[in-house]
Amino acid sequence: MSQVAESSHAPTSTGIDHKKLIMWLFLASDCMFFGTLISTHLIYRKLYPTGFTDAEGHQHFVQRLFDIELTSFSTFILLMSSFLMALAVSAMHKGQIKSFRRNVLGVIIFGLIFLGCQVYEFTHFYHMGLTIQNSVFGSTFYVLTGTHGTHVAIGVLWLILLYFYSFTGKLGGHVGALDVEVAGLYWHFVDIVWIIIFTVVYLIEYLGPNGFWGTGLPIAK
Amino acid sequence: MSHDTHHAPVASKLDLAPERSDLGLLRPDRSTGLMDWLTTVDHKKIGILYGAFAMFFFLLGGVEALAIRTQLARPDNDFVTARMYNQLFTMHGTTMIFLGVMPLSAAFFNFLVPLQIGARDVAFPRLNAFSLWTFVAGSFVLNASWLFEFGHLAGWFKDFAWYKSLVYTDFAPANGWFSYAPLSGTFGQADAALHAPRFTGVGTDFWIIGIQILGVASLAASFNFICTIVNMRAKGMTMMRLPVFTWMTLVTSFLIILAFPAITVALIQLMFDRQFGANFFNPSAGGQPILWQHLFWIFGHPEVYILVLPAMGIVSEILPTFSGKSLFGYPIIVFSGAVIGFLGFAVWSHHMFTTGLGAVPTAAFALLTMAIAVPTGVKIFNWLGTIWGGRIRFTPPMVLALGFIWMFMCGGFSGVMHSSAPADSQQQDSYFVIAHFHYVLLGGVLLGLMAGLYFWFPKIFGRMPKASVAYVASGMVILGFNLAFGPMHYLGLAGMPRRTHTYHAGNGWETWNFVATIGAFILGIGVFLAFANLVWTAFKGEKCASDPWDGRTLEWSLPSPVPEYNFARSPIISARDAYIEHKHGGHKIGYENDGGEAGVHMPSQSWMPMLASFGFLIIGMGMPMMAMSVPHAGWMVIAGVGILFTGIWLWALEGPGGYMLKTPTGSASPSPVSATTSTH
Repeated sequence: MSQVAESSHAPTSTGIDHKKLIMWLFLASDCMFFGTLISTHLIYRKLYPTGFTDAEGHQHFVQRLFDIELTSFSTFILLMSSFLMALAVSAMHKGQIKSFRRNVLGVIIFGLIFLGCQVYEFTHFYHMGLTIQNSVFGSTFYVLTGTHGTHVAIGVLWLILLYFYSFTGKLGGHVGALDVEVAGLYWHFVDIVWIIIFTVVYLIEYLGPNGFWGTGLPIAK
Repeated sequence: MSHDTHHAPVASKLDLAPERSDLGLLRPDRSTGLMDWLTTVDHKKIGILYGAFAMFFFLLGGVEALAIRTQLARPDNDFVTARMYNQLFTMHGTTMIFLGVMPLSAAFFNFLVPLQIGARDVAFPRLNAFSLWTFVAGSFVLNASWLFEFGHLAGWFKDFAWYKSLVYTDFAPANGWFSYAPLSGTFGQADAALHAPRFTGVGTDFWIIGIQILGVASLAASFNFICTIVNMRAKGMTMMRLPVFTWMTLVTSFLIILAFPAITVALIQLMFDRQFGANFFNPSAGGQPILWQHLFWIFGHPEVYILVLPAMGIVSEILPTFSGKSLFGYPIIVFSGAVIGFLGFAVWSHHMFTTGLGAVPTAAFALLTMAIAVPTGVKIFNWLGTIWGGRIRFTPPMVLALGFIWMFMCGGFSGVMHSSAPADSQQQDSYFVIAHFHYVLLGGVLLGLMAGLYFWFPKIFGRMPKASVAYVASGMVILGFNLAFGPMHYLGLAGMPRRTHTYHAGNGWETWNFVATIGAFILGIGVFLAFANLVWTAFKGEKCASDPWDGRTLEWSLPSPVPEYNFARSPIISARDAYIEHKHGGHKIGYENDGGEAGVHMPSQSWMPMLASFGFLIIGMGMPMMAMSVPHAGWMVIAGVGILFTGIWLWALEGPGGYMLKTPTGSASPSPVSATTSTH
């Protein structure tokens, strides 16, 4: 009776819950958001293929800056966190709260590992001489990957809150499963965005001897 | 379940026992007066608040416009300084677009959409309150720049170290509403404090964070409205039976959620340039200022349709009502609106014809711009088809709606002139462009919104605005508007440049500038009169019947003012224009067996949305103060983020709550036709 009365769970015209629909709409908007950031990065990579110059005037090539093994590892971790998230959502739908907690804790830990790798990467690049101030590449790289990192951090915070909320006994039933599923949608989206960023920001720098963008210099023999 | 409604149904929220939320805090459900307005989640009250703020900012933006026109009334005038002039035209544009037109459209969305689709509220009532208060926070941040500017002019700050260190002292934004880089950005190398030298003062920082906050408000509102329209339609209210205004709200909301991310990112980039020494638009470090123009107009051109589509929706409701005919070509009107929405994303570079895009992109954007005139023209022909052969009643809303068609067409014609790139390069940055977009935005949008205000005001307050005053005001607005902006076509073609604080005598511009200033004052008085009439009516006006115009859509089937639960019983729809069909046609509105003694579900009121918005206010005030190097301003920003997250967290934890409100059983069906129809 009261379930029907609750405004966000009254039968909807489409049969889709309001919360799920609004999350899909938010993700549509977020697509444009990341699209704009990624475009900015790609435009400037094409314009300035030579990388950046540090404070001492040394020229750096992006390919030699990146540590692709580390980034591949953190990408793998993030992908696996999506797998655990799917398990957590499934557990919640079946009402298995303990299984939900286990899996969501895994997502949180994997998310934190990813963020740790990003913090390490940022510090490492900073010591290599790449700052947000010394080049356009630094600006677009840090702001794009940093914005993605912020999305991951918000997701981790959200899941931590859900995790502890589950101990109050109030997370359950259709509403609880929906709340977890909506968080899952967000998490998967942030993961998919990372796959795109990993491809167009990192991987294509390794296409060919001088990367996809070239170096602006004669091709190395 | 903690979300259960504990109460037995009550006849009024004042009968509720005090209830605590899941957090143990007392819910403000029983509040009255000011507390009620601050914590309300009722879409009608939120709509009224949006409308009140919007009308205030319309008048403020109007005062700024009149200051501009006073300065330009005669050559070599010194009514304001060049510096003040820049701030005036920037704040005029920003205020009118973001604090005037958009919130006034949002007021209509809020008030009308649930009523028109047969719903009792929006999908997320508390999110709706959050949109409102976040808009208020953003508008406060933008206009706080004026307070700093007046403090600067009055010399209040001269003993402070941060003030002495400022290079530029334009405290109100002074870049124009588009804030083109590199003028709005930085140049050279950042110092140790990560600040690169800038071309403009802290006004730009107020503008950046203010627009960012307003964007959050618009995005949240749009997610909510799409959800509401798609998901909360009454039984039988199929998409192709939706009132056109609701359709245009849907298209506008999609435009907002897809266009605003571009400006959000652009603002983040500009903010990083100015406050953290990044190089997105810094030309000395390889940044490309043209990127700002692209990102801005990818947002900015859909924004034009975000402004105009709601007005088109309003006019599409008014013309059929006062012509006594159904809307001519409903599916085509809806389809044209959607096409305008799609094409609106593909024409942004026509704002940039003179930047040297190259022949192919210029030709492509010119063609697409011409193409977008087609669905717009289709709409105009459909409106003409609607009034053709109708029994026209020249009520104030109808006069304003007809004014909309006429003035908007004039703006449309000069718009097609701009779509031709060679012609556009002659008109760029001249008063011709000012004339064009004021015909679209003022002659079009403002007349449309005013028509809507006069049309729905009796529904909102149950009182009828004085028609005599409304006719005089409408006449003054239309006459003054044409006197003010008609001559600008000529001035522009005669070479008078935009955004220049004065001009010398002898260019042949004196007469028409003087005429334009006279027109602007007539227009200003007209708008003030129209608004004053409404405010007076809200409190003292003559009470009127619930359906004074012989309305066509569901909202007219409700009592005026509309009760807080909207529909005592949920309607079941079997035709487009449901209510006129109910009154005069063969399709009666059915009613579900809900409500009555069992009550309808009402959402609980809440302080949390406002608390979260307050966080935005603190962030918004802190960021520009950080840019001014005011001590500890950084902590203010961090505190603001903390308040924002705390607000959202408590909002989630308090639970949606809600209570059951009894509805009168007698009002299950609309009142008899004869009692409500004052005309015919």
